[in-house]
Amino acid sequence: MARSKLTFDQVKEGDAAPVQRHELNRTDLVMYAGASGDFNPMHHDDTKATAAGFPSVFGHGMFSAGFLAKALTDYVGIGSLRHFKVRFAKQTWPGDDLTARCTVVRKRVENGQHLVDLECSLVDGKGEVKVSGEATAELPA
Amino acid sequence: MAIDKSIIGQPTGKSRIVIERGPVGIFARAVKDDSPIYQSPEAARAAGFERIPVPPTYGFAMSYWGGFPEIQPADDPGKKRNILMEVMGGLMSQGGVILHGEQEFVYHRPIMVGDVLAGEGKVVDFYERESKGKVMTFLITENVYRDEKSGQPVLTTRMNLIHRR
Repeated sequence: MARSKLTFDQVKEGDAAPVQRHELNRTDLVMYAGASGDFNPMHHDDTKATAAGFPSVFGHGMFSAGFLAKALTDYVGIGSLRHFKVRFAKQTWPGDDLTARCTVVRKRVENGQHLVDLECSLVDGKGEVKVSGEATAELPA
Repeated sequence: MAIDKSIIGQPTGKSRIVIERGPVGIFARAVKDDSPIYQSPEAARAAGFERIPVPPTYGFAMSYWGGFPEIQPADDPGKKRNILMEVMGGLMSQGGVILHGEQEFVYHRPIMVGDVLAGEGKVVDFYERESKGKVMTFLITENVYRDEKSGQPVLTTRMNLIHRR
């Protein structure tokens, strides 16, 4: 890989990772169902979802978490995460313009490890938070 | 309704999981991650990995792909008593919905294709809260996955399920 790794010194509190955007579509839902084994029909069968009172099928929470994780690893590097936690706030819907944002909130050195704490969120086009999260990455000094 | 606090600390099950290349690559694409590190052993090595690593949330899907029935531990306490089903089934009999509230991952070392993991789960918390006239019951389970070869932990996951009625 030509991409150089982010280092601890390059990061400061308040830094933001490059924003990642994706418009959710039904193919995403089907792909995630197949890749995760979550075949709850609310995520792929519009007939059943509307019969259950939903406007349409809706996204898997863990798809949102996975997309948020991708935004994190694109920034800190694959293999750098030490901790990742998400809270599922709202459902996602096909057509949602999803934006993943990650911000550095703290830098610390513990037991010789150079750690960076981040806060992240996945919001739709109206600014509604779908998933919020926190992460810690260990970066090279 | 009183809840049965005695389930805190009880085992939820043991598992044995194989990490394979095909599912890892497919899973990465499904979360919109097109990094070659998840697809190609060469790209993974160039990035400093011995073998292809897994995406951060793969731990939630890996038992679906690699928990083959014939390799499961014979002494799995989950076979005797499935606490998750027991608790959530009991709550659902009163109506309401089950929500996945939170999911947490602690990474001890990267999980890679070729790993065989031994997982062990337990209930870490179980409590009830009232909010806006609704009763919310929280069940938090934890799974620790170890590299079978070294015995070292590679991943700890915590799942927070909420029953709301």
